Amino acid sequence: MNRRSFLGGVAGLAAWSHMPHLHALLAQTGPAPSVGFRFTDVTTGAGIQFQHNSGAFGGKFLPETLGSGCAFLDYDRDGWQDILLINGSDWPGHKKVRSTLRLYRNNRDGTFADVTARAGLDVEMYGMGVAVGDYNNDGFPDILITCVGQNRLFRNTGKGTFVDVTNASGLGKREGFSTSALWFDYDRDGLLDLFICNYVKWSPEHDVFCSLDGKHKSYCTPEAYRGATCWLFRNRGDGTFEDATAASGIFDSSSKSLGVALIDEDRTGWPDLLVANDTQPNKLYRNQHNGTFKDVAVEAGLAFSSEGKARAGMGVDVADFNNSGTPGIAITNFDNEMIGLYRLSGRSFEDIAPQSGVGIASRNSLGFGCAFLDVNLDGWLDFAVANGHIDETVRNIRGNVGYAQPPQLFLNGGKGFFRDVAAEVGADFGQPKVGRGLAYGDFDRDGDLDLLLTTNNGSAHLYRNDQQAGNHSIRFRLVGTKSNRDGIGATLRVFIGGLTQSRLVKGGSSYLSQSELPVTFGLEKRDRIERLVIDWPSGRTEEYKNLAAGRCYECTEGKGIVPQDGY
Amino acid sequence: MTRFAWIRFIYYCIVTYPPGPRRPVTADRPTLYARGVSRPSSSDRSPDRSPTLGLLLGLLITLSAVLAYSAYITWQVTGLRKLQTGLVDRDRKDSLQLLRIQNDLNLLAVAMRDMVSSDEPYPLTAWSAQFQRIRTDLDDAMRLESGFAAASRTPEQSAFLAGNFNQFWDAVDRVFALARGGKDKEAREQIQLSLQERQAALSTAVARLLVQNSENEEQAGQRIVQIYDRVQKDVYIFLAATLLAILLNGLSGIRWNRRLFARLAEVSERRSELAQKLIATQESTLRYISRELHDELGQILTAVGSMLRRAGTHAPEGSSLRADLKEVLEIVQTTLETVRSLSQALHPVMLDEAGLESTLDWYIPTIERQTGITISYEKQGAAFPVDSAAGVHVYRVLQEALNNVARHSGAKAAWVRLRFLSDALELEVEDRGVGFSERPGKHGIGLVAMRERAELMGGQISFSSPPDGGTRVHLAVPREKVESYGKEDHSVAGG
Repeated sequence: MNRRSFLGGVAGLAAWSHMPHLHALLAQTGPAPSVGFRFTDVTTGAGIQFQHNSGAFGGKFLPETLGSGCAFLDYDRDGWQDILLINGSDWPGHKKVRSTLRLYRNNRDGTFADVTARAGLDVEMYGMGVAVGDYNNDGFPDILITCVGQNRLFRNTGKGTFVDVTNASGLGKREGFSTSALWFDYDRDGLLDLFICNYVKWSPEHDVFCSLDGKHKSYCTPEAYRGATCWLFRNRGDGTFEDATAASGIFDSSSKSLGVALIDEDRTGWPDLLVANDTQPNKLYRNQHNGTFKDVAVEAGLAFSSEGKARAGMGVDVADFNNSGTPGIAITNFDNEMIGLYRLSGRSFEDIAPQSGVGIASRNSLGFGCAFLDVNLDGWLDFAVANGHIDETVRNIRGNVGYAQPPQLFLNGGKGFFRDVAAEVGADFGQPKVGRGLAYGDFDRDGDLDLLLTTNNGSAHLYRNDQQAGNHSIRFRLVGTKSNRDGIGATLRVFIGGLTQSRLVKGGSSYLSQSELPVTFGLEKRDRIERLVIDWPSGRTEEYKNLAAGRCYECTEGKGIVPQDGY
Repeated sequence: MTRFAWIRFIYYCIVTYPPGPRRPVTADRPTLYARGVSRPSSSDRSPDRSPTLGLLLGLLITLSAVLAYSAYITWQVTGLRKLQTGLVDRDRKDSLQLLRIQNDLNLLAVAMRDMVSSDEPYPLTAWSAQFQRIRTDLDDAMRLESGFAAASRTPEQSAFLAGNFNQFWDAVDRVFALARGGKDKEAREQIQLSLQERQAALSTAVARLLVQNSENEEQAGQRIVQIYDRVQKDVYIFLAATLLAILLNGLSGIRWNRRLFARLAEVSERRSELAQKLIATQESTLRYISRELHDELGQILTAVGSMLRRAGTHAPEGSSLRADLKEVLEIVQTTLETVRSLSQALHPVMLDEAGLESTLDWYIPTIERQTGITISYEKQGAAFPVDSAAGVHVYRVLQEALNNVARHSGAKAAWVRLRFLSDALELEVEDRGVGFSERPGKHGIGLVAMRERAELMGGQISFSSPPDGGTRVHLAVPREKVESYGKEDHSVAGG
């Protein structure tokens, strides 16, 4: 045995003894208990026939690998969640088919109707992501579609149709490679402002030739392109927006942003932003309460991995997954980088992915969309991830990594450990896919959260959640009066039997996608909650006691709470 | 004192205080040693020469070597750690900070490129936050780097680096001051004329420091390799020396063990010979007394009896003299019987004349009467001739065993079994008394004598406790030994 092998052996022993997460994983090898629910792919039965068009024609344009997103929204305000699926298009000069986004109205019987054309959304664009928010506070959600090129803002008329107000709102003449976006009220004036992520400076005219073999063109990595700043548009309240990117301190020409999530990192009630960057440090924009932001990602421990490397951040979500009252964070990354799962530790965040079971399980997958949701209604937020590689030939280079990858569903054990149960919740769910967007919503109003997953250049999947354990839930839909109408930025805290769950009403999160705005609390077998506290963005706090489970409540700011008929 | 007790008293007196001067056994016959064990020299056999000192010395030398080597290794590791933490680790940390600085400089270069390219719809002041973020990180990196690089950096190098950075940031401040004044065009010219050049110069300076660190690390790496090689060589030498010390210590231990075993064997042999001599002396003494009692005292008493009988015939019939003489005659007769009985008990002549089987036939009813113990005597197998010398030993074993039953067991019954097997003679004495282990007092010389007698005959004796309680004494002697024992040269027989 030479010196090196000896030292290697000693290091191996030491590493083994210092890997509690590995021991914990090995301890998990026993027979898995029933997860208490199933996901059924009801896409076809629900009438959703969607095919994403990446526009790929052989030119290997960078945006082709990234799209696209999806959203749950109640565009007609009938209390039933509708579905919006974003689509790309053929590239100029390579037009073959016409493809547009698709809006599916909920028929309230488990099926959907394609109302795209009727709603006025039958518009060709190279769509990437979506942000849904009632920016004009008229009670009907409006839609921003991020695009390669010009982003589009569609105002909801309230009559089942949308009007393209891109230019009228002041968002026109701004071309870029936009990805995720979110609506939030950063200056707390009761009007939703708009944050848009941009990836890199790319256009078909300035495409760079990249090659793996020196002969054939392949998709470039983002290092080949200059970064692009994110945009912040302040809502003037008159239907127009003001570019506040530079004035707010958001401007950063080095960013290559793909995901954004709303977070109240310092718990001041002022909304902060967490931006996931690809191969660049992530950004945590702390709200300075004066219309400006300061990036504190390095101090917060979110900019780099624990090895000090800027990872390839894709999707991001923020939620109180450990019921501590503080925000937890998940950022999906490239394969071989692991998902970053952060919890607040002192004044900064600590990446607990390796010891939580999420890190090792995600080492060989490339994650995009992600969301914290209480999928089994046990009171602990679980974590869903859409996976899929960007390189069709990755299997030739890395044998254990495929192009299509199974999604992951990590059940939260409540003790800091997550277990991937994707293979146990239904035969369809665990099938490998080239996953991108991911959103959740209770489309069938049965009190549990269903999943919507999009794939690159493929179909979308609607997974219906069927509870088997008989767990209960309670849902709340917020209506702001002084605050923005959607209540985005409001915090809800539910107190039950010594356990406190908290949720932030938020847009954005995940990747190119948006989940429903109503919030759902899992109650296990409890049939009521002791207390509900709502902290509105306006600063108002409301408290309600002894609410029965098994239904949805509409909470109107300053006007009380109204139980709905069922969920 | 009963007759039996008196016999026992003589027996123990002889065994305990054997007559005649003691002679060294080794003078009569050569000492036996175990196979492969060399006879120790007279000096080695000296009780003053204990192996403990030598073994302790060996252990001390081994432990001292281990301690000395541990100290040496600790010293080497400490030096290695100093070298690593003081030079290699510090260089590595310094390089990391330099890389961080270089990365920040690259970010500044990219930002300046974007500022100059004018493809963003924002004024140059939009970049101020980005520059401020990079400056904060650069300042932090510079502060850490100056701490790590204190030893290897010359004051001139440090001053050059700090001065260049100050000049760069002064230029940056001037650029943003122009931009804030709405003079974006002049600001862009400043970036192109001055700022980008300063950034390039800084980047080159940092790159040079990185190269210097790399060279330092390479030199330190070579020194570490030399230390490793030296330690590796020393490890081999130490291992060889330690193995040699352990080997010598082990060989010494083996040698001393062999001597100890030889001494033990010698002592055991001496003890055995001594016991055999004692038994031989005892037997010859008892035979002598027995003969004297029978031949001399018995003849005298017989003569006295004859004379008294004759004298009685001369006394008048019915006279008191005749009555007295008759009474004296009866006393003499009784005494004669006692003497004969005592003679027989000390050494049954019957053994020499009628053999073991007949002697036991006589002895067992006798002892039964004397002790009041009911003895079940059982003979098995076809009797074969027992040499009288061997018969004496068997008889003595039986005598001792029954004596133990009478004295210690508390039993009222005993079983004696004499088995003539095809290849051995077996004698078994069993009782249902208190058992061997529960008998008060230490096991006396009797048991030792029984063992010695069994060994003399080449037989085996065992003492066991039957499942029903009590004691079982089992003697087994090979048939050929029993038959030919007296024909061999034994000190007992010859005594």
